[in-house]
Amino acid sequence: MGSSNWSTDAYHARAAYNAAAGSSSFAYTDDVASTMPRSTWRTHETLDPKDVAVRESRDSDAHPESLAVSVLFDVTGSMGRVPRLLQRKLPDLFGLLLRKGYVEHPQILFGGIGDATCDRAPLQVGQFESGNELEDDLGNILLEGGGGGQVTESYELAMYFMARHTAMDCLDKRGRKGYLFVIGDEKAYGAVKAREVREVIGDDLGENIAFPAILAELQRRFEVFFIMPTGSAHFRNKDVRGFWDTHLGQNVIYLDDLDAVSETIAVTIGMGEEAVDLAQGLEDIASAGSDAGDVVGKALRPLSRARGSIVVSESPDGLGGAAAGGVDRL
Amino acid sequence: MNRARGPWADEHAIVVDLGFGDAGKGVNVDLLCARGRYGAVVRANGGAQAAHNVVTPDGRHHTFAQFGSGTLAPGGPVPTHLSHLAVVDPFALAAEARHLSELGIADPFALVTVDRRALLSTPWHQAANRARERARGTDRHGSCGMGVGETMAYALAHPQDAPTAGDCAHPARLRRKLRLLADHLAQVAGSGQEGAGGEGAEEPPNLEECVAAYAAFAQRVRLVDEDHLAHLLAAAPVVFEGAQGVLLDEWHRFHPYTTWSTTTTANPLALLAEAGRPGQARRIGVVRTYTTRHGAGPLVAEDPALGAVLPEPHNGTHPWQGPFRVGHFDLVAHRYALAATGGVDSLAVTHADAPDRVRAATGAGPLWCTAYTDPADAPLVIAPRAVPDLVHQERATAALMAARPVLEAIPDEPVAAIGDALGLPVEAVFSGPTREDARVPSRVRPSSAAGAARGRAPSPQTTVR
Repeated sequence: MGSSNWSTDAYHARAAYNAAAGSSSFAYTDDVASTMPRSTWRTHETLDPKDVAVRESRDSDAHPESLAVSVLFDVTGSMGRVPRLLQRKLPDLFGLLLRKGYVEHPQILFGGIGDATCDRAPLQVGQFESGNELEDDLGNILLEGGGGGQVTESYELAMYFMARHTAMDCLDKRGRKGYLFVIGDEKAYGAVKAREVREVIGDDLGENIAFPAILAELQRRFEVFFIMPTGSAHFRNKDVRGFWDTHLGQNVIYLDDLDAVSETIAVTIGMGEEAVDLAQGLEDIASAGSDAGDVVGKALRPLSRARGSIVVSESPDGLGGAAAGGVDRL
Repeated sequence: MNRARGPWADEHAIVVDLGFGDAGKGVNVDLLCARGRYGAVVRANGGAQAAHNVVTPDGRHHTFAQFGSGTLAPGGPVPTHLSHLAVVDPFALAAEARHLSELGIADPFALVTVDRRALLSTPWHQAANRARERARGTDRHGSCGMGVGETMAYALAHPQDAPTAGDCAHPARLRRKLRLLADHLAQVAGSGQEGAGGEGAEEPPNLEECVAAYAAFAQRVRLVDEDHLAHLLAAAPVVFEGAQGVLLDEWHRFHPYTTWSTTTTANPLALLAEAGRPGQARRIGVVRTYTTRHGAGPLVAEDPALGAVLPEPHNGTHPWQGPFRVGHFDLVAHRYALAATGGVDSLAVTHADAPDRVRAATGAGPLWCTAYTDPADAPLVIAPRAVPDLVHQERATAALMAARPVLEAIPDEPVAAIGDALGLPVEAVFSGPTREDARVPSRVRPSSAAGAARGRAPSPQTTVR
């Protein structure tokens, strides 16, 4: 026993950790990138949206009241290190949601968004998972690092998939929308293109769908948020900011430090579920040992001012606002 | 990430050493991970002072300290989880990762999750550990010099101020705790007479460099919350890899020659209970066909002549632990260990080739120690106490230091004899350093019985891959 050498050489340890930061736990990416020419790269089979009927978030004995949470992030070059950082941070999301009781049975789906005009893997979507399988999904995401130079990614294609190819018991049985967080820094294309849908997803779409139309459809199923890192390449681009502000209003979250992404999503959901207000949410994450409070507080203040119930089903006649279908967290 | 092929293992496993350490926990964890799929190897005690040697059939060798010994398993590395009961040394982890990369493990850091509550062992703890041992002169306790004991001691005395893995992500908080630690331990080193500034004393660690390195560690290695282990256990069976041996346990063993760590199955069982799965694991005790000890303290059946016959490739003389010591199979000590840990479900026996080597070298068969006597030739009986009692343990230690072994020939088929004598089914037998040198006798559990040899004689052998 005791093989390690006595060393105070912090420098070497730091160098080892930092050197490794270039490599990643995106095992599939590393494997593909090192063994195959770029022209043959393709989406990992577990994440391929082609011919997928639906990604399901269902109740089970273990998770009787499931709530669908989806996080789709831009995997193109402009976002640089972001996906790798997210991979490290996002699995903690479960812990944050569960510990403070914001959600009892979250089921989380991860996905990657690229550019359908030029990428080999423009859309990657995992399953709604209740456990460690999420890490497998993250590990299988292909970080193509592509994207074009037009400050546009195929967010609308991802939104189409989420609008038409998901099935959620939280919505079907309880009238509660799921949550959809898109993390990115560019604009969506103006329309969902029938050709891309056919190629990537396999649906035979008669005609293109304008972006506002697909967003509206999506928002009937999900509470949709766009998280934009303020440190990203296009944060100063008025065009990009204007685009999302126009379409999502207070649901655009400008986040100074992506390290705080799990906390930000957790508190957003906590507020959406009306389990907490912003002040309580910040207190919760502080008591959980996170020092992301300032960043999260700044990011979510606009949202907290506009907070309303996200429940969509109508209250039955005569029961007023507080009964079935209403908010049951308060 | 479940890259391993093959069937899932059917239950969690706990691997515990029934001796003083070095029995072969590493190769047993490697074998388990080669036989069935496990979601993770979990460390539930000790820190980087663990040194579990694994040699792969293709000749790669790694001494596991912070990483779990399933990292070289065929079909893909099994991830490592350092639970809140483990002690984390990011420097040791970095050094180990470097070596694992050289062995072909892609991105070792991605394999590791660390509970934020796990204690951090630092160069300051190491320095204090070494200062204390130096001050003991020739009366060393056999510490590894890694500071794990100091880490535990400081945390017990200063629970709010002890740095944890989670602090690494919060440089300001960590800096404050490290300053307090440095101040405190400087006093310890200062009271260590010649240990403090004298021969062999090292430069004090550079606080800012350490903070930066720990921050890099937190950036790179995934820190997780308390519910992570419950998720792990729900998702797939895991292996709990014990560190050190039961006979070094902080409470039950022979004070003061102990490790500051609970080395029995108590910690893994506590983690299972915390996760709502009390007792849901198979406990596997590991012994060699002879008994060894690396470090000071009682080793009643010690026989230097035996050491000459049984060379130790991976355990040389250690600057802090001293020489590797070898003795005959000590039934008394191992029975004591079994009683102290509350029993195990099965036995793994390593170094099954040693009895033949002893016979070849000496012309006589292997011996085992069946009883102890005191200097007056009266029988000496030892039994663990239900309640920790260090004064009692210290008295027992003094008695053991003077005790003499009653040696007898081990019956034919030594491995089977050891299993029978300890009253346990033998589930794996190693006659060499790799998992391919393992075979599975009969009476093995269903999950691993497929293809196992019938009959529990040492031959014919079935190689387990």
